Amino acid sequence: MRLRSACAAVAVILVAAGMTGCATGAKSEAMVAEKVAVSHQSSSNVTVAVSGGQSTSGMGASQISDDDFAHALSDSISKSGLFKEVVSNGGRYKLNAFIGKVDQPVFGFNMTVKMEVSYTLVDTQSGKTVWSKNIASEHTAKAGEAFAGIKRLRLANEGAAKANIEQAITEISAVGV
Amino acid sequence: MKRLTHIAALLLVLVLAGCATNRASHAPDADLHKLKTFYVARLPADENGVEKLIAKRLNVLGYQSASGDAQTPPSPVDAVVTYQDRWMWDITMYMIKLDIQVHDGATGAILANGEVVRPSLQRKSPEGMVEETLGVIFK
Repeated sequence: MRLRSACAAVAVILVAAGMTGCATGAKSEAMVAEKVAVSHQSSSNVTVAVSGGQSTSGMGASQISDDDFAHALSDSISKSGLFKEVVSNGGRYKLNAFIGKVDQPVFGFNMTVKMEVSYTLVDTQSGKTVWSKNIASEHTAKAGEAFAGIKRLRLANEGAAKANIEQAITEISAVGV
Repeated sequence: MKRLTHIAALLLVLVLAGCATNRASHAPDADLHKLKTFYVARLPADENGVEKLIAKRLNVLGYQSASGDAQTPPSPVDAVVTYQDRWMWDITMYMIKLDIQVHDGATGAILANGEVVRPSLQRKSPEGMVEETLGVIFK
C-alpha cells in the first residue's frame, strides 16, 4: 500500500512537471544577429518576406513563426547596415526566406535544433535573382540553461535562427549589391 | 489517495493521447508538378530503412525514385529528398514524428517540406507515416 501511494505521488509529480506551463514561440528579439561585420553596405532598400514557419500552440512544441523570423531578419539587417533601409513593401531588392527545416528533438536534456532556410535575393527592377542559398545552422540549449524542456527547446530554436541569420547577412554582404 | 491515482492516470492518458498533426509548406514559386526523378538520401542515424519506404512510396505515386547512403545522388535528379524520423517507446517502439524535405536537385534549395506527428494512441506504421507525410506535401 505504501509503495502504491509512493508510485501515485511520483506519477502526479511527473505529470505536473510535464504539464507545467505552456510552450511559447521563439522570440524575435532573441533571434536578432547583434554584431555581424558586413563587407559591403548597399545603398538600396530591401523588403523581407518569410514563409514556411509555424505558430506555436500552447500544448505543442515551441516553433518559429514567419512574423517573428521576419522581424528578427529585418532588425538584423538594420543593425548590420547591410541595406540602407528595410521597407515593408516595394523595396529595390526582395529577400525571400523559406524556413524549410526545423529539426527538433521530442525530449532530452541537451536539446539541439537543426535548421535550414532557403534564401533568395531578387532585384525587383530586373526581376533577376542575384543570390540564393540554402543555409543550415544549429544550436544546442544545455540542460543547465533552463529547467523546463519547453524553454530549452525555445532557446535552441532561437539560437539556431540567430546563427542562420548571421550567416545569411555575412554571405549577402559578400555579393555586393 | 485513490482519487489522486485516478486523476494522475487520467492526466497520463491525456498526455499520451495528444493530438495528431500534419502540415506542409512550399517555397514561393516552387512547382512540385515539374519534378519527375527523385533521390532519397538515407539519414546516417536511420537504421529502420525509412529512405527505402519513402522511395517506394514515391514510385507508387508515379515518380521515378531511388535511395541510397550517399548524401548526393549518383546521377542528376530533379529533386533530393531528406528526412528526420523520431521514435518513442510506449509498450513498443513507434515513430512519433516524421519530417520530409524536398530539395531542388540542382541548387539544393528546399522546395517543400512536410511534417506528421502522431502520439502513441494515434500511432501509424512507418509506411503509414511516410504515406501521410508525402500525401500532405504532394496534395
